Amino acid sequence: MSEIQSAPPMSQPPLPLQGEERHRSRLRRRSMVALLATLVCFAAIAGQLVRLAARAPPEIRVAMAEPLARTFARPDIVDRAGRLIAADVAVHSLYADPLLILDLDETLEKLGPTLPGLDTADLKKSLADQSRRFVWVARGLSPRQAQRVHDLGLPGLAFRTELKRAYPLGALAGHLIGTVNTDNKGLAGLERMLDETGRVEAVQGPGRVPPEPVRLSLDVGVQHALAEELKQASLRYSASGAAGLVLDANSGEVLAAVSLPQADPSRPADWLDPALADRLAGGTFELGSIFKALTVAQALESGSADLERVLDVRQPLTVGTYTIKDLHPQGRPLTVREVFLHSSNVGAGMLALEAGAERQRAFLGQFGLTEPMRWEAGPVATPQLPKNWGRIEAVTIGYGHGLALAPLQFAAGMAALVNGGARVTPTLMARSDDGGARLRVVSEATSAKLREIMRLNVTNPHGTGRRAEAEGYRVGGKTGTAEMPGRGGYQEKSVISSFVGAFPMDAPRYVVLVMLFEPRTGDTGGDHITAGLNAAPATARVVERIAPLLAVLPRRLDARM
Amino acid sequence: MGMHRAINLVLMLATLASAVALYAVKNDTRRLETRVAAQERALERARSDVAVLTAERAHLSRPERLEPLARLIGLAPIAPAQYMRLDRDGTR
Repeated sequence: MSEIQSAPPMSQPPLPLQGEERHRSRLRRRSMVALLATLVCFAAIAGQLVRLAARAPPEIRVAMAEPLARTFARPDIVDRAGRLIAADVAVHSLYADPLLILDLDETLEKLGPTLPGLDTADLKKSLADQSRRFVWVARGLSPRQAQRVHDLGLPGLAFRTELKRAYPLGALAGHLIGTVNTDNKGLAGLERMLDETGRVEAVQGPGRVPPEPVRLSLDVGVQHALAEELKQASLRYSASGAAGLVLDANSGEVLAAVSLPQADPSRPADWLDPALADRLAGGTFELGSIFKALTVAQALESGSADLERVLDVRQPLTVGTYTIKDLHPQGRPLTVREVFLHSSNVGAGMLALEAGAERQRAFLGQFGLTEPMRWEAGPVATPQLPKNWGRIEAVTIGYGHGLALAPLQFAAGMAALVNGGARVTPTLMARSDDGGARLRVVSEATSAKLREIMRLNVTNPHGTGRRAEAEGYRVGGKTGTAEMPGRGGYQEKSVISSFVGAFPMDAPRYVVLVMLFEPRTGDTGGDHITAGLNAAPATARVVERIAPLLAVLPRRLDARM
Repeated sequence: MGMHRAINLVLMLATLASAVALYAVKNDTRRLETRVAAQERALERARSDVAVLTAERAHLSRPERLEPLARLIGLAPIAPAQYMRLDRDGTR
């Protein structure tokens, strides 16, 4: 205001105006700042709106909708033709939050009749514990059961969708498929392998795009036919168990593998029951005379013998303190071919003795029979080799004793003998090729001779395998009746009777192994339990049934022209 | 002075308009998202139904069940005598 007082009159612009001007500019500046601040605020709000609209974080949404859903998604398992063996299905699992339950007794009273089989006493204990916020009540309910529980309208109960493994074929192929636990994690067999090889995915609830199914080498039809025939053979010959295998002689693909009694994949407890153990891959056995095929093959391969060479088998074979006798001595010298046909222990022992322990071990090693093996359904039972592999052991192994093998591993060895001499690794996975270049274990010539004597063993009226003939399908093979080791040595009346063969023998496509455990009788009745009377005819029935499924034409067709 | 006021007014209106527009877009997005979620749920349900039905079909067509039924109507595994060549002689 002092400026106004000292202002000169009129000659200059009035001073009060000057003051007003300054005042105004200050006001303008202030309103400008306020406006700017408002704009910044609006801009911030607008920016936030854009941000929120542009990307709502999806994790938050899922987490709010499915607070606990986390389950394991497994690929489907199908057979070689795409038929379903195992699949995931969504099921409803009921859980409770003890804090939210209003009346525990009423809840249990209503749940009891709705869910039969519910252990209410045990559940009451868990639900009474208020420190817990999550208690499973029942898992894997059917949609109808879930609806009924839902309709009860009980507070504190809620559902969560989980994946559960379904096995539509029941126990068929159970031993191979294995089993999973309640969380859908693999415990045994192929299922476990899927976990170990990263094929199983942890997911937030079901509904994901299903991954490529796992395609097996199995043929469900062949698997069923084999299981049925083995069941009937077990009944017919009063056997305590049975096992059978159908193997592609070239690719090693397993078309069917059955061990009776079967284990059910939907019952994990079956895998803890030794009575239900898989006999094909999970156990080792002294296989007896079917092993002579390998002994003869080695003699042929080393050039120490051809099929016409004569062996003097009239006397028992004595090695150290052991004496080996033939069950049905022929009373005359036999050719190598006849040794195979009559299944002479003395003859096989002599051939093995000639080869010696070291070369025998090396020969079997070429087939992989002395090494532990793994396949897609887990580890195969480790071969039981003699501690000291000397002359005596060489002789007993020559006719199939003193060395115990998983039948699966042995069958793969037989496949190499008949397929022209290429080593075979058994597999459960469908193969598109035949494995490419493979190790040769015996020559073409040796393989051809083996095919000849195996076929002869079925066509010759004196052959032990004559009852294995399946009209038109040209079966060839070898019988074996192995006494089972028991308390105080081998038990004469407790045997594993088996037949290993291949068909069609002129160009083998499939190797078949049939084993009967502790049969009490054979085709001729009474207590004649040798393999020629039970395992061999059982094999004929198996081949007659599976050959049409495998598109093997009967020879009759070619002959009638 | 008048011009400033006009600019301010325009800016203010623009801000308000964009806020309203954004709100509308966001609202729209939310509605679309709800629809997507509903469709996804329907897809999940359909997929899960397909899985159940496929398993059911495999269960119903399992050989263990079909064999007795097939035998009941007189079917049996094919016998070698039932094969016949069609491409030679007159046996067709």
